[in-house]
Amino acid sequence: MKLKYSLITRRTFLNTLFGGWLFAFFSGAFYTLMKFAFPTLGKEPDFVVLDRKDFSDIPNNSVKPFAWGGALGLYFKKEDGSVAALKGVCTHMECNVAYKPEEKKFYCACHQGWFDETGRNIAGPPPKPLEVFDVTEDGDKLIIARKGVKVELPKA
Amino acid sequence: MSYPRLKNWLDERYDLTDVKKFAKSKLIPEHRYDLLYYTGGITLFLFVLQFITGMLLAMYYVPHIDHAYESIIEIVTKINLGWFFRSLHHWGAQLTILFLFIHLFGTLLVKAYRKPREMVWITGFILLIISIFFGLSGYLLLWDERAFAAVRVATGGAGALPVFGGFIKAFLRGGMDVTGDTIVRFYAFHVSILPLLSLLMIGLHVLLVQYHGVSVPRSEIKDPQPTVPFFPNVFYKDMIIWLIVLGVVVTLAVLAPPEIGIKADPLAPPPANIKPEWYFLMVLETLKLFPGTIFGLNGETIAIICVVVGISFLFLIPFFDRKANRGEESTVFTVIAVIYVVYFVVMTAVGFLS
Repeated sequence: MKLKYSLITRRTFLNTLFGGWLFAFFSGAFYTLMKFAFPTLGKEPDFVVLDRKDFSDIPNNSVKPFAWGGALGLYFKKEDGSVAALKGVCTHMECNVAYKPEEKKFYCACHQGWFDETGRNIAGPPPKPLEVFDVTEDGDKLIIARKGVKVELPKA
Repeated sequence: MSYPRLKNWLDERYDLTDVKKFAKSKLIPEHRYDLLYYTGGITLFLFVLQFITGMLLAMYYVPHIDHAYESIIEIVTKINLGWFFRSLHHWGAQLTILFLFIHLFGTLLVKAYRKPREMVWITGFILLIISIFFGLSGYLLLWDERAFAAVRVATGGAGALPVFGGFIKAFLRGGMDVTGDTIVRFYAFHVSILPLLSLLMIGLHVLLVQYHGVSVPRSEIKDPQPTVPFFPNVFYKDMIIWLIVLGVVVTLAVLAPPEIGIKADPLAPPPANIKPEWYFLMVLETLKLFPGTIFGLNGETIAIICVVVGISFLFLIPFFDRKANRGEESTVFTVIAVIYVVYFVVMTAVGFLS
């Protein structure tokens, strides 16, 4: 079929083709560069495995820090002896929080944020509660996992 | 394609008539050897490529004696596309040096250095020296046994120079021997000092070429000189060639990733059949020609002096070639140029094959 009139000129067609090719080329190159530049390593873990005996004999109403990837995790033994684990990073501006045993609260010194024993944000600027992890004990191992993550340990 | 609003915005603020006029009127001579004009553009393109890949690699490399080697292993094994960008940086460097030599020898043979373009030659030559030092400093960062030996030999060679040798050696090594301090120092050279110097030199070099216009070989000067417009003819050709070069570099990077040797051990002997980078082979073979002592003097010192004199003569050749400067035929310097090229090619080949 031969059109009597063309909607585009040959020049427009070629320019679009060439421009489109350039665009495709540069976006491909840019994507590759960014793929390299963005970090591959150091992602937040799904779970960490700790040595149980390091954490079993801490006194009641105290915390012991552990490494949650590159961030602070807090193993927490409450007054009544029950245990929990939470991410010790304030949900406001990512400062590390500290446990205040006398008040039974977590405190963030950067902007005076307060969290209660369950990690709930109760005062100050923090917009969300602290992230609470699942704690399971498996023989001499202590497994701390993000909520809802199925832990699959490598077979030793 | 046109953007009238952007055009208006610019026109209301800047007077671009001169730029437009310049872009329209820039002409490039056309003759038998005009392919040589593209070698400079290729090197420029490769420099840009080296800058981009280098910036990315610097995000992951750790310049410390305990982590340098391991961080490169991590880049090529764990980081997304890390093997590709390290390989690309390696092959980009090889081709940069290769095209710098082609550009240099081409310029030498057609005597484009002659009056009034002496400073173009000088800045270009400095860029070659900077690039070779780029290669040496970049190679040490790998910190494998070959890199260690290569840098020991190269800095030791500089140490054989009379009077200043010891100072140069200590300055380059950051101590009496090649140690962890040398890595930090070479890292500073490689990612900070040399890039800034080369940017300055490239800027000056390109500006001077722009100022003088490209040189036409004496035998090709005609009246009127046949020319082609830079925009778009030569510019498009430049881009086509860059694309081909990029294709070559990427292909080499994918098919022939450079090996990583065993981690450097200052107390271990170098591996058998160790060879420096190909652009040092010519110097190495020259040093081999000299005996240990010549008339009771240290043979190595004399050899190094000969190499330095040879390089200095080439560096200052525009000032020696008086005839070419007057626009006369200068057969002696054509012969000298051919000797330089043949010597370089033969000695590199001998070094490569031996």
